Amino acid sequence: MKTVFTFSLMTLRMLARRRTLWGILIVIFLALVGISSVPSFDVGNQGRFILDFGLFGIEVGALLLALGLASNLYPRDRETRSLMPLLAVPLARWQYLLGRFFGAALVQAAALIVTCLGLMLILLFHELPIPADLLPATLLIIVEGWFLLSTVFFFSFIASPPLNWPLTTMLFVVSQMSVSEFVGIMPSAPGFMRFVRLLLPHADVFHIKDPIAHGFEIEPVYFIIAIFYGLCYAAFMLSLALALFRGRDIK
Amino acid sequence: MADVHPLQVKRLSKRFPRKRGLGSVQAVSDLSFAVRQGEIVGFIGHNGAGKTTTIKCLLGLLKPSEGSISLWGYTPASRKVRARIGYIPENPDYDDSFSPMEYLSMFASMRGLSGDDKSWLKLLKRVGLSSWETTGIRQFSKGMRQRMSLAIALQSNPDLLVLDEPTGGLDPMARKEFREIIIEENKRGASVFLSSHILSDVETICHRAVILSRGKLVTEGSMKELLGGENLYRIVVISRKTGEEIEEIIPEADLQSRIDSLRRDNLPIVKVEMALKSLEDVFLSAAGGESK
Repeated sequence: MKTVFTFSLMTLRMLARRRTLWGILIVIFLALVGISSVPSFDVGNQGRFILDFGLFGIEVGALLLALGLASNLYPRDRETRSLMPLLAVPLARWQYLLGRFFGAALVQAAALIVTCLGLMLILLFHELPIPADLLPATLLIIVEGWFLLSTVFFFSFIASPPLNWPLTTMLFVVSQMSVSEFVGIMPSAPGFMRFVRLLLPHADVFHIKDPIAHGFEIEPVYFIIAIFYGLCYAAFMLSLALALFRGRDIK
Repeated sequence: MADVHPLQVKRLSKRFPRKRGLGSVQAVSDLSFAVRQGEIVGFIGHNGAGKTTTIKCLLGLLKPSEGSISLWGYTPASRKVRARIGYIPENPDYDDSFSPMEYLSMFASMRGLSGDDKSWLKLLKRVGLSSWETTGIRQFSKGMRQRMSLAIALQSNPDLLVLDEPTGGLDPMARKEFREIIIEENKRGASVFLSSHILSDVETICHRAVILSRGKLVTEGSMKELLGGENLYRIVVISRKTGEEIEEIIPEADLQSRIDSLRRDNLPIVKVEMALKSLEDVFLSAAGGESK
């Protein structure tokens, strides 16, 4: 695992030096500042508004970070031939995949924590209380971000980066849908649609922005189950990616 | 174990599927050769002959369609043998946000090597990058990237160096330095498998050569065998049409009959002399017809 750890650090350093990360962070911050400056009807609503849309902004930020950081990693390594010296000698394919994933996941998590701190500062600036569940909610978004990251990795082995963006975004949108909303796409085959929805990811489990904004308490066991689900799905997507990568010729 | 050559390729074939499933392209066909311990073996062929495909197969980057590859008796997938290989890819590139020192440190850590910054500085000095150790690779020329590749390949004191066009795009001085390092590594005990278009390099440093054309082996042998076969003669005659000198290279066996035919045609023979055979002559006569 030392090899994977070193390669993760190498990936982390590489991504932190790229402009993509900083560009996406600036976009998220501008969105948060924009949300907080929207005029509200009364003080009670403003806090809810900032929390609700702020967490939504961080979640969309997780998607942007996943796509911006990872959609081009493997294709770029292949195109520039920097993949060959890595795979020819020090790394096995699974080590390459995990190293790249963990490096990107660490950068993504750090970026999301920074945006959460930004949201806290905005709440403090408006003299609004910071809910106790804000950090756990961010943790759930981080796990959702890892799931999205693993999806981006999977698609990067079967699609070009420009195609990866719509595919991952589509999966992200579908994963937010409830079963009834999904069945509504093709109401003539409800059984089939329910089965497909069952197989597709349920990213709605990571959304606790509404209960937080309305001040409802969330059971700790919910967090544990949601995190476990997210990590299992990410591991599943990475296994699929590895299965594709293993059988592939590096031309 | 009966088969302990550093590299043994047996009946290797590699086919690539064409786009849209329309058949396949045969890149390498029924190729067999070996690199013995302590040898420098040149791997020669025209563009598209299958050299890089063969190298990628022996590094486990491509899966052979048929045949087998053994590295000290193990398959290329074995971690044990990969740790003993140093590899320079054709047109190497690296993430250009790093410096050579950072790259060497990270590669060392990934390979479990025990060297420190001092030893990497020494290595960078050896390949001619001593004053560039902390400069971002994005500022490097093609030749400097080749040197960087060489440093990474030599980092683990490999037992087998696999070099894919390592001197392509280098100036004559840098090529000479590269050759000297390869010879030094060979003296240290490393076997070398060198794919190159620059036949003078192969002729200068290789003990043996394998010549490939259209994915097939056309000839192989020691330099002595390849260069010291049949003697060649150079005949210089004056063209009746243009009055210019025309040169012909003729094998010894055909020499007398060719002179007779030139005399019959009343063509003035200016000179008949023994021609020194070069690897280029061998390559052109072995693979020239095949590549057309």
